[in-house]
Amino acid sequence: MSLTRRALVRASAATLALPAIIRSARAAAEPIRVGWLATFTGPLSSPTIGFDRGVKWAVEQVNGSGGVNGRMIEVISRDTQGDPTKAVNATQDVISRQKVHAIFGPVNSGELLATTPIMARARMPSLVAGVVNSLIDPVKYPNAFRVTPSNAQWDDAVRNYCQNIMKVKKVAITADATGYGTSAHDDSVASFKKAGLEVVYDAVIDPAQPDVTPDMLRAKNAGAEVMVSWTVSAGMAARMMNARAALNWDVPIAGHPALGTGEIGKLVDKPEYWEKVYQVGYRSCSYGPDGKLPKPNQDFVDSVKGKFPLADTSLWWIASGVDAIRLISEAVAKTGSSDSDKIIGYWNTLQMWPGLYGHYSFTPQEHNGFLGSDVVMSKANTQRDGAFDLAPGYV
Amino acid sequence: MLAAILAAGFAVGATYALIGVTYNIMFSASRVMSFTAGQLGMAGGVLGALFINRLGLPILPGFILALAGCALIGLVTEIVAVRPVLKALDQHLYVLSTLAFALMIQTFTAIEWSTEPQPFPRLLGIGEGGPLDEKFWLPVVACAATIIGLELLYRRTLVGRAFLAIAEDNFAARALGLPERNLRMASFALAGAVGGLAGFAGGELLLAFFANGATLNFFGFVPVALGGLGNNRGAVIGGLALGVFQQAANFLMGGVVAGVAVFVVFIIVLLVAPQGLFGAPAARRV
Repeated sequence: MSLTRRALVRASAATLALPAIIRSARAAAEPIRVGWLATFTGPLSSPTIGFDRGVKWAVEQVNGSGGVNGRMIEVISRDTQGDPTKAVNATQDVISRQKVHAIFGPVNSGELLATTPIMARARMPSLVAGVVNSLIDPVKYPNAFRVTPSNAQWDDAVRNYCQNIMKVKKVAITADATGYGTSAHDDSVASFKKAGLEVVYDAVIDPAQPDVTPDMLRAKNAGAEVMVSWTVSAGMAARMMNARAALNWDVPIAGHPALGTGEIGKLVDKPEYWEKVYQVGYRSCSYGPDGKLPKPNQDFVDSVKGKFPLADTSLWWIASGVDAIRLISEAVAKTGSSDSDKIIGYWNTLQMWPGLYGHYSFTPQEHNGFLGSDVVMSKANTQRDGAFDLAPGYV
Repeated sequence: MLAAILAAGFAVGATYALIGVTYNIMFSASRVMSFTAGQLGMAGGVLGALFINRLGLPILPGFILALAGCALIGLVTEIVAVRPVLKALDQHLYVLSTLAFALMIQTFTAIEWSTEPQPFPRLLGIGEGGPLDEKFWLPVVACAATIIGLELLYRRTLVGRAFLAIAEDNFAARALGLPERNLRMASFALAGAVGGLAGFAGGELLLAFFANGATLNFFGFVPVALGGLGNNRGAVIGGLALGVFQQAANFLMGGVVAGVAVFVVFIIVLLVAPQGLFGAPAARRV
């Protein structure tokens, strides 16, 4: 048998292309592996309960309908226990050993500060569920996309509510003496002053302080028309409400989403002390005057009711989990690839992407994708099915 | 305004004072500074809320069981964290053993109870949150009752005098035939009950929270240092002064700055009177 030069070239080309073809075929069949890093156990685990329900539900939906271009989603969960060291180990594990295609989590800012540079070095598409402003930097971390509001957006929501809806001019700003609280206090005081409001009293308070009457008295004597509170401590928030009642002071309290946590309901001396308290919330997870959520979310709640509990968590945590899986699966579906660059490139093109939690828009220069106007204020004592009534004054 | 500051200051101060007394009782019996004192206060609040709120017991049985539970913790402290290190007091191993046991109590509470503050039951229903609310005067009443009770115990009963005897000189007390070990165990049980009373009486203010132990450990030690080690009356005056000063500093300066001010004053007092305001300078045989 004679071998022509042309046949030899063809055979050589086919031989060279074979590994790529095999790789491509294997990639088309392999599952889409999603690293899901969260605080499943420990004192900071309550948000993860909600996030995880959303993640599992969304994965079931995608896989139940045949997957993404025939590829199933495989979630690889790791418990970080709220510990940045464990979060770093988990991140390295899912990137290096599990070979995930994208990561959702960790879900608190302290862990994210430690893991974000590691994910950036691996160019790992990652969805960031943390509020600290410095977590997002498209130059340093082109792979990281924030799918929650930033701290600044929370602050904007509170300030806009105080200034434009409550029409107050004098505010008191308090925060707990944690790393988060101190930073939120400084940012908030600066932004309120910049907006022309008078900060008549501000303090960082030890969350273990047994009585906050002195701080409330100082704020009252200074003429505060609203108390802005940045604390995740249910005890401190409840003490503020009890002290407000003891002082016969009818001042509204506005601030951190933790003002609506169910623990506060157990700690206030009387249920009515929780009135006139407004927390940061989300339009997508707020009941309007008709008692209904926006249609997509109402449909979602109606469809999952009875399948998993909603009352013991926040609807937005569940919604965020759903959105994370949908964002990853849609990127793979639309680009036909689970390559990092393809996923990152696709996310960079999203404009007003309609998620359950909110609308997301990303560009190569802006990875704070959450729409600011989706962040609103809610009535803190109105939680049902994980959602809250809109605070008065919104249309 | 002044009434609010005084009410909260005396309430918090009385709680600190009772923790100081807890330190003193344990120290008198063993010469050991047991850093479980604050945890006993925390346990008083948590057990009170457990028995009354969660298990639905009436207040009086709940109160007695909470104090009994704390007395038991005091007893276990003596057996586990104090007795093994008594022979090496000069090496101060008790600092490590009692701190380790305190950490175990705190961690166990966090796991089994909650890491979030839980409500403490309303005990008598007196007051509407103002300065005359029960949450402000109950710790003061508990503190006064404890001091009177301890004075009566130490001065009017044989057991009390035996406590004083081992506190004064445990070698001599043993030579006289006093059961030193049993008396020390009884002292730790008594300290447990007093610490538990601090947490129970201050529960409406402090809430049933696993992290209260560390705070009480810290601020409960200040009255001991101010009042003089082993001096209960000094601890009460030191505790009340600390509470009122702390609240006044909170009002005048606000926030964490007030905490710094408290410790600046504390250090100045100790520089001026190292033995405490009411303690006598220790004599050393030469």
